[in-house]
Amino acid sequence: MKDNIQTNQAAVSVEGVSKKFGAAVVLDDINFSVLEGETLVLLGASGSGKTTILRIIAGLETPDSGRVILHGKDVTELPARARGVGVIFQNYALFPKMTVEGNIGYGLRLRGRPKSDIAEIVNTLIELTHLEEHRRKHPSQLSGGQQQRVAIARALAYNPEVLLFDEPFGALDAQIRTRLRREIRALLREIKVPSIFITHDQEEALELGDRIAVLNQGRLEQIGTPYNVYNKPATEFVATFLGAANLLLGIVNENRFEAEDIFLKIEPDPKIRDGQSVKLVFRPEDVFLRRPENLTQNYQPLVDGIVEEVNFVGAFERVVVRLNISTRPPILVTRPKSETTVFPLEPGVKVPVGLVRFRILPNYTLASERAARVI
Amino acid sequence: MSANLSNIRHTHGLDVVKPLSITTLILVMMPLVLLPLASIFIFGTSSGLRSFWNALTAPEAVFALQLSIVTSFWATVFNVVFGLFAAYVLTKYNFWGRNALIVTISLPTAIPTAVAGFALLLLWGPYGILGRFLDPHGIHLMFTAAAIILANIFVTFPLAFGVIKPVFDTMNQSLEEASATMGATRWQTFWHVTLPSLRGAILSGALLTFARAVGEFGSTILVSGNLAGRTQTAPLYIFAKFNEGQVEAANAIAIVLALFSFLIFSVLFLARDWLEAE
Repeated sequence: MKDNIQTNQAAVSVEGVSKKFGAAVVLDDINFSVLEGETLVLLGASGSGKTTILRIIAGLETPDSGRVILHGKDVTELPARARGVGVIFQNYALFPKMTVEGNIGYGLRLRGRPKSDIAEIVNTLIELTHLEEHRRKHPSQLSGGQQQRVAIARALAYNPEVLLFDEPFGALDAQIRTRLRREIRALLREIKVPSIFITHDQEEALELGDRIAVLNQGRLEQIGTPYNVYNKPATEFVATFLGAANLLLGIVNENRFEAEDIFLKIEPDPKIRDGQSVKLVFRPEDVFLRRPENLTQNYQPLVDGIVEEVNFVGAFERVVVRLNISTRPPILVTRPKSETTVFPLEPGVKVPVGLVRFRILPNYTLASERAARVI
Repeated sequence: MSANLSNIRHTHGLDVVKPLSITTLILVMMPLVLLPLASIFIFGTSSGLRSFWNALTAPEAVFALQLSIVTSFWATVFNVVFGLFAAYVLTKYNFWGRNALIVTISLPTAIPTAVAGFALLLLWGPYGILGRFLDPHGIHLMFTAAAIILANIFVTFPLAFGVIKPVFDTMNQSLEEASATMGATRWQTFWHVTLPSLRGAILSGALLTFARAVGEFGSTILVSGNLAGRTQTAPLYIFAKFNEGQVEAANAIAIVLALFSFLIFSVLFLARDWLEAE
């Protein structure tokens, strides 16, 4: 997976980075870049290697091969202290014996800046992060959100080359997470410092990232805008990790996807040849259980199915439908309120199943592995 | 939690367990700890403050107190600095034999002090394993103040190490990493980030070491030679005067040592809270 941004215009470039811990391959030839002022989210499950990438960029870990370039300068061999990156650790790592001001000014004191300069910069950052009332407090007297703002201000004080966020919302509860996410998004837009976030939370990734890089077992599966990564997943992993996806096995024949009685017209793809085994990937919200009256969307009928389960889950309804083909695969469908009120469903009802959006991916895994599955 | 625990009711009406257990505690502690300590003060001041003052200001008594304080001070300085270093190395680096080293460092806690003194004699004495090579050059470690410091170091080393090491163990590694990414050298990180978090542990370690060293008897009696006015520490002075039948002289120094311990422990409790408060 190559990122097509040129190194010379990037704030951060990671080139061909690999890392092993003992026999385990943690990172396998990772390449990506972050533009000036851009926020990139590294999304992956635990053990995908995202933390290791962050630590390699920060200089807290050495890659076995590959390079890290910050604003055109190769820093691979430089120790952490000489790189000038700002890291916001998961637990914030604020210095417990220093006040908020002391924490924020630490990087400047290390650089031997005059006291008056330090005071001025600290003041500006305290205002920026709305910590005016807390300037003389110690970290233990602050809430999680306030501590996080101190951690960001502390990293911003010395004009970092890049801000690295290591799962910064991991330790907070759901409500605060959502609020802080928005606050940080707004702050990052304001300061325009290139940033890399790591997270395992897809919602967080979609909301925070200008672009998202999806990692799986040390490999970069896809990098792109949240829209593209979500709607045009390059691999099965991306499709299933970023939101729910239904998968159906079939073959390609004359620009059609075929599986028993299912025939879907597809766009010609030079990477897929006739007769090749493929997977049809579609999101639950892209399934229609009746023929839409207004066919402005790209609707194509799939096959009939029987409703098996109907669950109300707040903002939308979740329906499980078994398709009427020999393997009777269950698929997951979500319907908005507008649809459920005019067209209520109950288990046992026969429905026509159609799709408005789908992807065809080459089937690299064994065809016998599973005929279809609901994720 | 503890507040909730005491609120649990096991009985109706009057609960006799509470007053009974407190009374038992005091009755047991009184003869074991409080009464012996009280008797030092009662006896020491029974023949008047004047004779107490004379006993205290006798040249040999003053010397013994000074020697105890000076030797304990140097043993404390060494044990805190080296205890800090040992704790740092043993926390930061994982190497073969690390656990064996931790056990070895902590070993003096379990060794009888007389054995420690005897061991030092066998090593550094005029006919000792190392001492025999120093002796021809006129270097005599044993039966000097240096021997007392050596004995104090040996006996009290686990104390400072034992207090500092757990704080290192629980210290968040990302604090040091954060400091490094912000531009600090290893030394700057140690000085600005690590050391401030250890203030409480260092002070406790120092006070414990000092308190223990001032009272050290078993090892010092063997290595010092117990020469009055030359190598006699305060505890040795108490023992010598008691043996000579000069109970008042022994008692005067005993009072000073006891007060000293009270003082150290008061500082220990007050300062630790103060240092650990943020």
